[in-house]
Amino acid sequence: MLKAAGGTALAAALAGCSSLLGSGEEDDSQSSSDVPDEPIEAGLQTFTEGAAAVLGLQAQYGAQLAVERINGAGGVAGREMKLDVVHEGDSHVENYNQFVEEGKDVTFGPISSGGHAAMAPEVESQEVVNVGTDGTVTTLYEETVTDPTYSFRFQNYDVMECVSAAREAVERLGADNVNTIAGINPNYAFGKDEFSVFKRAIKKLAGDVEVVYEGYPDLMADDMSTHITEVNNEQPDVTFSSCWGGDVTTLMSQAAANNMFENTQLVGSVLYSAVNDLSQDVVEQASAISGSRNFYWGEPTTNRWQPGKKLREDAKSKWDIVPSAHFMSGYGAVAAWATATQKAVDIVGGWPSQEQIAKSLEGHGFYTPAGYHVMSEDHQGMSNSYYGKMSWSSDVGAPVLEDVNMYDPREVSPPPGTKSAKWIGSWS
Amino acid sequence: MKGLELTRKQAVLTVVGLLLAFAVPDLARLTASVQLSVVHQGLAFGLAAVGLNLLLRHTKLVSFGHAAFFGTGAYATALLASKLDVAMMSVLLLAAVLAAGLMAAVIGYLSLRHTGLYFSLLTLAFGQLLYALVQGQSYLGSSDGLPVRPGEANQPLIFGLALDADAYAVLLYYLTVVFAVVSLLVMYRLVKSPFGAALDAIGQDRTRAEFIGIPVQRYVWLAFVISGLYGGLAGAIYAMVQQHVRPGPVLYFLQSGDILYMAILGGFQTLLGPLVGGVVLVFLQDAGKDFTNYFDALTGIVLLVIVFGFPQGIVGSLERGGNVRQRAREFAEDPSVVGSWAAGAASALRSAFGDWVNSVRSMLGVR
Repeated sequence: MLKAAGGTALAAALAGCSSLLGSGEEDDSQSSSDVPDEPIEAGLQTFTEGAAAVLGLQAQYGAQLAVERINGAGGVAGREMKLDVVHEGDSHVENYNQFVEEGKDVTFGPISSGGHAAMAPEVESQEVVNVGTDGTVTTLYEETVTDPTYSFRFQNYDVMECVSAAREAVERLGADNVNTIAGINPNYAFGKDEFSVFKRAIKKLAGDVEVVYEGYPDLMADDMSTHITEVNNEQPDVTFSSCWGGDVTTLMSQAAANNMFENTQLVGSVLYSAVNDLSQDVVEQASAISGSRNFYWGEPTTNRWQPGKKLREDAKSKWDIVPSAHFMSGYGAVAAWATATQKAVDIVGGWPSQEQIAKSLEGHGFYTPAGYHVMSEDHQGMSNSYYGKMSWSSDVGAPVLEDVNMYDPREVSPPPGTKSAKWIGSWS
Repeated sequence: MKGLELTRKQAVLTVVGLLLAFAVPDLARLTASVQLSVVHQGLAFGLAAVGLNLLLRHTKLVSFGHAAFFGTGAYATALLASKLDVAMMSVLLLAAVLAAGLMAAVIGYLSLRHTGLYFSLLTLAFGQLLYALVQGQSYLGSSDGLPVRPGEANQPLIFGLALDADAYAVLLYYLTVVFAVVSLLVMYRLVKSPFGAALDAIGQDRTRAEFIGIPVQRYVWLAFVISGLYGGLAGAIYAMVQQHVRPGPVLYFLQSGDILYMAILGGFQTLLGPLVGGVVLVFLQDAGKDFTNYFDALTGIVLLVIVFGFPQGIVGSLERGGNVRQRAREFAEDPSVVGSWAAGAASALRSAFGDWVNSVRSMLGVR
């Protein structure tokens, strides 16, 4: 009974409802003779420098806040958590192995899709649980590791956000009004995959859709004007972009300067990742439709869901940022592991093995300030995805999403065991 | 081996070095700061640097595109493993070396028409071309790359054996050490041969070399291909260690820079230097991350120290007549010499800064 109270306290702390925690007496009640005293050693790899740090630092801050809240609630089964952060760079496998050699109990990250693909098979052979923060490539659990045991991912993956984007575009503009589309996507596997899923989905949803332009600017390109000119010439009904971070700022600023937004409706899967960099006039001129993967702090509305508000206040006061979906991917990866481990401790009556923790993560449901999440049985995290109209809020001093639609994961992802392309192909 | 007579001291050092190399897997078990995969990766890159050094040291050609051969070897391995399910390590290695040799033959043929800066830029351009091609091909996995996990065992088979992850890593490492030793011996024979002497002559003065009847173009091309073979072998080893190949870590031009840097860091006037440089640089890059967020600056600082303090590189400075030995002797004779060294370093820095200011001035047209 007392242990169950400890578990509830941890889950409540991670959802951010500190008022539910009580006086902290559960600290002692959680300790069990079979649970070691020493702290839990956790490792996170993320981009701490370079352009990708726009996402990487958000993930890091999210993970740190989760660890702080876990420790505030007395730890996992009374064990405090310690988080060690390293820059992922190109050394995903080495970083993971280093964590394993240092005796880490759990590892989190990375951000990069290719790095995640390189690392996931290593996780399976080293048998220390890793909960990926991002690395959202669809093939990870469809081709690279088809039967995972120790490798998990918290972030919604590419198919989910592109199918959401296609549904959102059709819903807002009307199926009859989407006849031509264009794409400006980053020139690597992620950008190409995203546009191909978007095309496939929107053709199913809106019928006869013609692709009038496809452009692939390099990552961190400083000039996107040729792509913008093409879009201006073709005037497609919808322009889809999976640009993220600094590339969003470049694309949207240059598009605004060349009046692209008068000629097309921009729909972007990760435009909101640049939330801390966009300026008011660009946001207002663009009136873009943006996704926010697994989290948008204004939804569920903060007057009905206090944890969201508390998270935003914490992120603002500690790091002076508006938390994005990448903040939640760091937070959620830690929360998924901690709540599942707490559950396993309660069941086995001692500290669980890596295998027991992994089993406990499968099909595990838990709360964070973004609402309810499930770690699906195919090891893919499932959360609502959010789409809304990007507009400027002078209260926040940053863009916000208005008129937000939420998509249940079951609407935008294939059932476990079915490949995405086959699933979309089966729509009628 | 003929021509390879070691003094007693050299023989002892060689044995100690070999023992140390073979002890790395045990050391890695004792301390988390030494990681087998990092040392292993360092050896692989170092082997590519040994190949590059044939050009750098003897023909005085600076290639900025040697990652192309490293990457070709790595991708040949990954392609065979992931698309054709080839699991035999020997086949993978052989195919990688052949593919890289072929690539070097083509790139070498096209870029060796030029010397100096134009040669360097051409190799850079070909390297980047290859990178862009791979990046754009979804068959090659684009930026996500390809796994090297063939067959039912999900890994290349060493001597036909399917081993568990730890045994695979250790056995592959021992094999890499053997490859490295054999490659060094081959390189030693090569540079001590008449062919090596001819390359030296070409490096000193191309025109005169041609006058005395050396087929300069053909010899340089041959040296280029040989260095490509080393790169291919190194790339294949890297691919089998990482078991996943992506364009960034194997083909991007910064990797070419790293390979060049390894040769200079270890001492490009020596045989062993580039290999040592490879291990040291990869280790530095990895260990640096644990200490500071600005770990990229670390390699820059080390390079500055090497260029200003130890221009002969790590191995070069430790050799007879090297910088370190001479300084140690001076210090033993008169410890106060440290003061004059500091003054010397300060004045060198001052004059370097002065030169830099003058260059900037002349560029801006300010007198």
